[in-house]
Amino acid sequence: MAWGGGWGGGGGGGMFGGPHTGSSNGLPFGGIPTELMNGVNKILATEPEHPASDLAFTQLPTPDEARRLTLPLLLSRHQGLFVWGSLLTILIALFGQVGPALVSIAIDHGMLAGHYHLDIVLWCAAAYLGSAVSTVVAQRISAVVQGKLASYIMRDLRILVFTHLQRLSLDFFTEEKVGVLMSRMTSDIENLQQLLQDGITTFAQQGLTMIIIVAVMFSMNVTLALWTLVLVVPILTLLTIWFHRRSEAGYVRSRDAIAGVLSDLSESLYGIRVVTANNRQRFNINNHRNVVGNYRDTNMYTGRINATYGPATIAIGILGQGLLLGIGGSMVISHHMSVGVLIAFFLYLNRFFGPIQLLVQQYNLLQQGRSSIIKLRELLAMHPSVNEKPQAETLPRLDGRFEFRNVTFGYDPARPVLTDVNLTIEPGQSIAFVGPTGAGKSTLAKLATRFYDPTDGAIFLDGHDLRDVTLHSLRSQLGVVPQEPFLFAGTLRSNLRFGRPEATDEEIDEAVDLVGLRDLVTRLPRGLDTVVHERGQTLSAGERQLLALGRAFLARPRVLVLDEATSSLDLQSETVIERALDRILEGRTAILIAHRLTTAQRADRIVVVDHGGIVEAGSHRELVALGGKYAGMYQSWIDAGGRDSAI
Amino acid sequence: MDAASTYDMENRANQRFETVGVQSRFRTPRARIAADTSLTWWRRILPVVISHRATFAGAISLSFLSLIVQTVVPNVLRGALDNLSLATRSSAAVAAAHHSVLRHDVITIIVLGLIAGATGYVGRRFMFATAYNLESDLRNLIYEHMTWLSFSFYDRVQSGQLISRANSDIRSVQMYATFAPQIIVQSFIGVVAFGFMMSINAVLAVVAMLVMPLLYLVGIKMRRMMFPISWMIQSRLADVATIVDENINGVRVVKSFAQEESEVNRLADAAERVAWGYIKDAQFRGQYAPWVQNLPQLGLSLVLGVGGWLVIGGHASTGTILAFNAYLLMLQAPFMMLGQLVMMGQRAKASAERIFEILDERPTITERNGAFDLVDVRGTVEFDHVRFGYGDNPDILVDFSATLNAGETVALVGRTGCGKSTVARLLPRFYDVREGDIRIDGHAITDLTLTSLRHQVGVVLDEPFLFSVSIRDNIAYGKMDATDAEVEAAAIAANAHEFIVKLPDGYNTVVGERGYTLSGGQRQRIAIARTLLVNPPILILDDATSAIDVHVESEIYAALRTLLAHRTTLVIAHRVSTIALASRVILLDEGRVIATGTHEELLATTPLYAEVLAQTTVEAQ
Repeated sequence: MAWGGGWGGGGGGGMFGGPHTGSSNGLPFGGIPTELMNGVNKILATEPEHPASDLAFTQLPTPDEARRLTLPLLLSRHQGLFVWGSLLTILIALFGQVGPALVSIAIDHGMLAGHYHLDIVLWCAAAYLGSAVSTVVAQRISAVVQGKLASYIMRDLRILVFTHLQRLSLDFFTEEKVGVLMSRMTSDIENLQQLLQDGITTFAQQGLTMIIIVAVMFSMNVTLALWTLVLVVPILTLLTIWFHRRSEAGYVRSRDAIAGVLSDLSESLYGIRVVTANNRQRFNINNHRNVVGNYRDTNMYTGRINATYGPATIAIGILGQGLLLGIGGSMVISHHMSVGVLIAFFLYLNRFFGPIQLLVQQYNLLQQGRSSIIKLRELLAMHPSVNEKPQAETLPRLDGRFEFRNVTFGYDPARPVLTDVNLTIEPGQSIAFVGPTGAGKSTLAKLATRFYDPTDGAIFLDGHDLRDVTLHSLRSQLGVVPQEPFLFAGTLRSNLRFGRPEATDEEIDEAVDLVGLRDLVTRLPRGLDTVVHERGQTLSAGERQLLALGRAFLARPRVLVLDEATSSLDLQSETVIERALDRILEGRTAILIAHRLTTAQRADRIVVVDHGGIVEAGSHRELVALGGKYAGMYQSWIDAGGRDSAI
Repeated sequence: MDAASTYDMENRANQRFETVGVQSRFRTPRARIAADTSLTWWRRILPVVISHRATFAGAISLSFLSLIVQTVVPNVLRGALDNLSLATRSSAAVAAAHHSVLRHDVITIIVLGLIAGATGYVGRRFMFATAYNLESDLRNLIYEHMTWLSFSFYDRVQSGQLISRANSDIRSVQMYATFAPQIIVQSFIGVVAFGFMMSINAVLAVVAMLVMPLLYLVGIKMRRMMFPISWMIQSRLADVATIVDENINGVRVVKSFAQEESEVNRLADAAERVAWGYIKDAQFRGQYAPWVQNLPQLGLSLVLGVGGWLVIGGHASTGTILAFNAYLLMLQAPFMMLGQLVMMGQRAKASAERIFEILDERPTITERNGAFDLVDVRGTVEFDHVRFGYGDNPDILVDFSATLNAGETVALVGRTGCGKSTVARLLPRFYDVREGDIRIDGHAITDLTLTSLRHQVGVVLDEPFLFSVSIRDNIAYGKMDATDAEVEAAAIAANAHEFIVKLPDGYNTVVGERGYTLSGGQRQRIAIARTLLVNPPILILDDATSAIDVHVESEIYAALRTLLAHRTTLVIAHRVSTIALASRVILLDEGRVIATGTHEELLATTPLYAEVLAQTTVEAQ
């Protein structure tokens, strides 16, 4: 990203440039107070240069990546930090419980009427102070260890999920809503951050605290400890089980609801132009209110459960104290126990219930985290429908001979789009698919590039079944220009370079001239460094197509597939492209899909696709002479004023 | 300046032309963010919080009550224990008396426990109601606001950014706005506890609270450090979201060029930067938070030392030490949360600023006061010396003047990127001109209500966006109350009916998120049907048939010919076949009109025209 500025490459953040700041300086924030700027810069000054990631991508997951996603698995990847964190957690829990014991000792040995010992009291107080300071130090180290642990796990998880998304096939992306996928990668993962950072530690620490407290209570007075446990623990356990069950169900529902909110939001944003043009604003606002309201209701449900559980434990805590007072008090009156011990019991009982309140809070985090993990696990369990075989071979440098053998295909297998197609494309040949909209032309191209696998039959490239070769070796030799050009946020230059990041500036200039983008580049004040993004309007639809073509030309593929890649161009630009194609295609195989028969006419061979199969095939001249379907199409094209490039 | 313009726009929204149909079960947000940008962030949020004052006040007061009741418990215990201390030294004869006092104390505590539980329950119900209503309000407010924003905003902002702000940032504000008062109430327990402690033993109370001012100092220090770091993390998270958004939407490009590896690495770099931000965040927290959390423990050690000394001197009882312990312990949880509160506060502040940044964006296209509805359209359209460019880019239209007569079909022709689509976007006021005027039937479009203008001017955009609803609903997008027959008629005119009925569920087929399951040409036809259904007297077809083959296109235009008879139509196209539909052609180049006339006239007189249509570049093969 070429946003410059000292933002550690936080380039995408710079979108709110515009009028306030001018996006050129890359400041993501409109009115940052200067003192904040200083603060941020101070922090960034301490940021080391992160080495650029150098991860390998394989279509088939490595055994490590394929393991079932669980919290322990994530933790096990950073064992050192985890062990450290656990030790510190135990230490902190122990330090925390020294206090009441010291108080009890001080009372029984220093403050009992007639047996005053100020030195014992002061020693106890000093020890208490020492334990408190030690806790501070331990917590400080622990915060850093936990922070690292959580951050690394989050980073690993983001990469893991994203890598998996990259493996999934096109059909997955057409069926799943963008908003849902976005929420998996953003809010589901962000949910875990809090849990990993504070939640697990607090959980362990408080749980441990409760165990220690029980142990200490038993060591002090078995009878009273037993009474306390009998009175308090069963009720608390039942309540907790109820809470666990109800809230788990609630959280799963609320994850679904938030995904609904996000997909409604994202669709509205992507379609904002249609929304505005159709005066649909108020309708959509009402609709969104319903979606948000639904999310609110699921939250209210979990809220109700939480509102029951928290105060109930408080009440149980107080009731427990009352009963302890009754039983313990009687024991004191009958001289079976000292006051100091009873006081210590109260102190511990308080500390027993304190953690529960914290645990309830953390439990929400845990539940959210769990449901997020469940959702992520579902996503990770999705198998790409187009996948590599484990022993897939690397496709050597292509000659470009395609052979479709008895290919049948339907996006829905029950409704084939193509039936029993047989077709051979010779190396270096350019072939044009023509035919009515929806006849299956694009589908043929998608099969040739293995975006989908045939339902029946097979496709061979240079004698290799497409399903037997690695996807990377296949696609890196193919260049596809889809009908709808997609732009990444970044400069024109980085968009052109997308298919071949190592391309030199000279090569980029060459591509710019080749596709006729020079005019545009000179017109823009910042030239090739102009920042564009997907839905921005800096470029017209035609210019985007030129950019996409330039991108493909620059990638120097062995086989080029143009799927209506010139539909938004004026005829002059199209002519430029056609000439460029003539140069680029030298010795390369090309598949062209075009409605303009001018483009088709220049192809070595024309294949007419209709009703799910190939109707006729041959050169322009042959087909016109044949007087069949193509001849008819050609006639209506000429009648409609179409240009005949062969005249 | 005109801070309320979006809301005006909404209020003015015109029942006559607007698409209505769904009524929400949920009420509209009752308050909005304060428009005054000079206010601090929480003051700006405050009106929304105040709009939930009933539940909010209930929540605060009941939680407070619950806390008060809880603070009484240690005091009762203290009395009981002091009574027991006496019992240890007294004879068996008075044991019965001690027992009855004890029984009374036990009952008091049980009653207090029940009250604490009940008030706590109701209080929290209120608290959650406030929290989630606040969150819904914020979500709805942002959504509403974004819905009314102009295209120029969307031209420079990525959706990934907006989604991240409208989601994670809202959550962090909501959590803070509701969590904070709760914690502050709980911290009030400190004041109450201090009061009780003062009443029991003033000296010891002062000693116990001696360390508390430290809290304030640490708090200030933390705030100074945490805000920038939180802001940085949020912005880095948005970077991640943007990469994901691009890779989902651009999946075909990524796969086509086999760039999965470099995209994974791009994400890994962004994830690494997020990780570093969080680690830095943990380091800062580690420096301060433990002190905040352990202040009560430090206080406790002082209480033990000084209290013990007081007990020995006969100035306090051992029950007092227990009570003080309990009170300071009550502070433990709020203090732990206070540490979190400071952090959350900084995160919330950063998030709120990011939300405000959206909310402070004003629609650039607004209705002027006294705008009137465009009705009974004849359809004369005039572009009068229009100058226009996007954002701060140079002019794309320099001096564009043209007139479309009522009922006329005019083709707009020009090179790629010469501004044809721009003309199409100016007429429905998706953008405002920099200079010059656009008039319909003599009315400047800036004098018209936006809803009526956009209702009367139908545009088929060059990018056919479909929503993930049924095809029927996609066609009826601009006219929800259309009958099935009307929808079908529109589909027939757009030559879409034939393929629609062949789909598994016909008109009820739900198309994918971006309509992927349909081919480009099929999507274009649905977009055309969508506009035809609204039946606008002025129609703009912006390269609307580029992905449709000639044969089908000619069928569409045959159908359109009758439909277009009485409407003013602007056709943007490259194909001669499409241009043939128009009675007149306007040739656009370098931001102005070069020539107008019939197709034949221009061919004969203007070399550029032939060049653009590539008619003269024909070469023998």
